[in-house]
Amino acid sequence: MKHLKELYDYREMIYSLVRQDLRGRYKGSVLGFLWTFINPLLQLAVYTFVFSIVMPNNIEKFYLYLFVGLVPWLFFSGSMTGGAACIMAQKDMVKKIYFPREVMPISYVTSGFVNMLFSFIVIFVVILFSGIGVNPLAWLCLPIVMIVEYIMALGGAMVTSALTVYFRDLEYILGIVTMAWMYLTPVVYSIDMVPERLRPLLNFNPMTPVINAYREILYYKQFPELRNLAWAFVLGLIVLAIGILVFNKLQKGFAEEL
Amino acid sequence: MDKGNAIEVKDVKKKFRVYFDKGNQLKERLLFRSRNRYEDRWVLNGISFNVKKGEAVGLIGHNGCGKSTTLKLLTRIMYPTEGTIELSGRVSSLIELGAGFHPDMSGRENIYTNASIFGLTKKEIDERMDDIVEFSEMEQFLDNPVRTYSSGMYMRLAFSVAINVNADILLIDEILAVGDINFQAKCFNKLKEIKAQGTTIVIVSHSLGQIEQICDRTIWIDGGKIKADGKPRDVHPEYMDFMGQKRQVIAEKENARKEEKSGKKAGERGEDAESGESGEDKKRWGNGHARINKVRLLDEQGKSQSAFATGSPITIEMDYSVRQKVEDAVFGIGIFNQNGQQVYGTNTRIDQMDEFALEKDGTMSVHLDQVNLLPGIYLLDIAIESQVGVPVDYFREAYTFEMYSQIGDVGIVRLNHQWKI
Repeated sequence: MKHLKELYDYREMIYSLVRQDLRGRYKGSVLGFLWTFINPLLQLAVYTFVFSIVMPNNIEKFYLYLFVGLVPWLFFSGSMTGGAACIMAQKDMVKKIYFPREVMPISYVTSGFVNMLFSFIVIFVVILFSGIGVNPLAWLCLPIVMIVEYIMALGGAMVTSALTVYFRDLEYILGIVTMAWMYLTPVVYSIDMVPERLRPLLNFNPMTPVINAYREILYYKQFPELRNLAWAFVLGLIVLAIGILVFNKLQKGFAEEL
Repeated sequence: MDKGNAIEVKDVKKKFRVYFDKGNQLKERLLFRSRNRYEDRWVLNGISFNVKKGEAVGLIGHNGCGKSTTLKLLTRIMYPTEGTIELSGRVSSLIELGAGFHPDMSGRENIYTNASIFGLTKKEIDERMDDIVEFSEMEQFLDNPVRTYSSGMYMRLAFSVAINVNADILLIDEILAVGDINFQAKCFNKLKEIKAQGTTIVIVSHSLGQIEQICDRTIWIDGGKIKADGKPRDVHPEYMDFMGQKRQVIAEKENARKEEKSGKKAGERGEDAESGESGEDKKRWGNGHARINKVRLLDEQGKSQSAFATGSPITIEMDYSVRQKVEDAVFGIGIFNQNGQQVYGTNTRIDQMDEFALEKDGTMSVHLDQVNLLPGIYLLDIAIESQVGVPVDYFREAYTFEMYSQIGDVGIVRLNHQWKI
């Protein structure tokens, strides 16, 4: 509890680090902050080209189908892989100054999250132009889904960031793991395409209900299935609890290991 | 925890694991099991002390004694292997200045980031902004990116943030070397002001003078244990003595090494002398009719030393050998400081000693009653001449010795003095 209060006292640090990351990310480039929007737009253009022209798909407006799942997925996988390096990246600070170490994964994940929100602006615009329509009531559920995903990403980042300090290979191993994980999550395909007997495996994956919920809201214009969402929420809390536990156990040795 | 205490350190031990060849990668960990050999090095072997609220404490000790580790444990960058550390209140550390500075951001933005690392909220930073800017004297550069700053400006800004945090406990590691003399003086005064406001301060420093000016108490750490704990006035002389002795041991080793080297050289030169030329060695010249073989500096007890306390007597002894009779010989000494400036020189002729000739090997000595040279390293030149001014053996930098002192007076020599009012 005392720790939580301390973290709250350091909210300005989290805020500055997030701001620094978002502003510093494209600093020095000509288009600057615009890249935050251009980047997802260009990605969308590539996917549209590939899946409408090169290898057409029987899912209607597949580029949109893919995009509403991919943006949240990229946030999640980025939190895992990039988050793994976030303590290593701030080595000098960790070695020389005190602050609650949780600040590092929290600000990293938060900055990824804010970046995802910017991408969602692009998604909204594209949805409006695509003529697929919107269900305003279903959209109200969107923040809940996002929060669930945020909790999950944070838990994951806490585990990976702390472990990477002791075991540097993890950063690279995670690159492969998240790639495999992406294909175990219905990001680029629909869950109906998966053989019946493999589905339990997919459903066990905590990211499956999250990605599905995004898609139900944005693509199918439906309310997300609450049972799945609740399950995802519980999983998210478990992941976060593990993350906090592991992180606390390992953080005492950070300064010596780095 | 006692109410009146700001810091309580109880029986703290700290061990570091020193790997001979550490592997952080999977391959290394699995394949080279033997590489994971390590030894435990105990840096702190059980130290306990309390610091009262508002007290200022200096930590001293030679390099590697564990004082910086102690400070790191206090800041909670590291955690003790055994024992407990309790602190009450907000802690700010001047250990790493400018942590989190982003070169592309402006000075003002960096103030926010940097201050936030000390746990300040936006409101608190806004309140302190004027003080920080004023203290740093950087108003006109505040909106320029930090990468355009000179290193002095950078440190000034960083120091201004750290010192304006208004912490309850301030931890400082060798920090007062920031900026020019004026800014240093300003930092120093600010520290005194902070102390007067009741902030608890812990300083690690090699500058005993700084500690004396700020601290009420000095803790001397040696070999991971507290060796002395008390008023700076009592602890510092003890510490200086200890360090002086340590230096003496080192200086003697150094001289022994040099002697060994020059001994070899002399041998080589002997061969040279036979071939008739010895012009290469600029540190030593002369016709070689007599030669200085060994130089010793003796203390009061007649023990050979190479470090002396300012004000103590020194006897210089030089053994010489004679190849050919030297009529009307003159012995001279010259003492130079490290800048090459001669601080003293004399010879037997200047001192109007009776004429003498060198016929066989012997020892010449000169006794200096009170050597008032201030701390530093000094070089001794020795020379034998004949009365007509012909150098017989001029030996430059024949000996190196060191002076040490507990008094902080400055200059080249100490002039005996009394104050009166």
